[in-house]
Amino acid sequence: MNYPSESNLRRAIAFVATLGVGVATYIAVEAAGGDAPTCLAGSTGCATVAKSSYSHVAGVNIAVFGIVGYVLLLASAFFANDLARFGGFVVALGGFGYSVFLTYVELFKIEAICQWCIASAVLMTILFLLNATRLVGYAGTETGALPERA
Amino acid sequence: MNEADRRTQLLQLAAGAVFLAVAVVLVLIVLNASDSGDGGDTKLEGASEVNRSLAGIPQQGMVLGDPAAPVEVAEFADLQCPYCKAFTEEVLPPIIENQVKNGRVKLSFRNFTILGEQSPPAGAAALAAGAQGRGWNYVELFYRNQGTENSGYADDAFLEAVAKGAGVKNLDKWNADRAKFLADVEASTAEAEELGFEGTPSLAIKGPATDGLEPIGTPSSTGDLEKEIEKAG
Repeated sequence: MNYPSESNLRRAIAFVATLGVGVATYIAVEAAGGDAPTCLAGSTGCATVAKSSYSHVAGVNIAVFGIVGYVLLLASAFFANDLARFGGFVVALGGFGYSVFLTYVELFKIEAICQWCIASAVLMTILFLLNATRLVGYAGTETGALPERA
Repeated sequence: MNEADRRTQLLQLAAGAVFLAVAVVLVLIVLNASDSGDGGDTKLEGASEVNRSLAGIPQQGMVLGDPAAPVEVAEFADLQCPYCKAFTEEVLPPIIENQVKNGRVKLSFRNFTILGEQSPPAGAAALAAGAQGRGWNYVELFYRNQGTENSGYADDAFLEAVAKGAGVKNLDKWNADRAKFLADVEASTAEAEELGFEGTPSLAIKGPATDGLEPIGTPSSTGDLEKEIEKAG
């Protein structure tokens, strides 16, 4: 199977993670100011989700965890070694899994959709796919060259 | 360790992490899905609907909604009162949906127990549920299954069934708390009398434009209550 070059994957990861930092920071800043992120088309879903009990874990807004996750993913894109590949994969996996849970909560528990949360979930899904491709394609290599297969 | 071995080891670790993540997400979803409760041996109606409708809305004690919401609507009510049931089921839902969920309004339930000897224990049972974040679930589920006023239906078995149905997790604590909260029931009943209330439900409102908690009587419709909220905020 032909994988994209690792340098291209790292660039893509850095780009998407930067977008994620922006989205999560916007949600966190709005929440810290006592507001909710502004939904498009006048939807009240963002306020409903932001004010729900699911928006905090141990008293911390989950957007803060999002910022930390995206920053770690961004950092992983700067290194071409197994620690960065595996670390990036694990962080993206955690973020993707939690995004799946939060999307379930929005659809079936809160019954409201926050467009910013969906945007973050989409970004985290893309990051999971990019990091999974990077790990499967380049794990065990020193330089990002494709490993030889038996 | 050569490249191939390291690669194999990393991919095995990654597969384990995926398995673990899938398991954790499934457990989280199942735990949240089973948060609907039932009434144990006593047959209750509407537990799932009540718990679903309140899911995700913050609750602290008997306050429903964002604690920082600028407007507070206090409902002084007796759980045995059929008018309180009607008010909660017909007037309040749009307020909860539109103004509580978006953080503009918070609702507080306060006992004004005037109907009979089972009213104070019922009110205290709701407060004990509130101590576990299920106060409004308790109130709404009680109303859904309300019997005829002072017919004796609100006995310990009924109160416990409502607690189970409302999703109160620690029933031992709930049982222990009930007696303690009787004093709070008396205090809020006295507060209602000081505000000049004579019947249930009676409402009071507090916001940036009010002078503390101001009585507003019993708005007969959602629209009337919305006007009071507008004036207060």
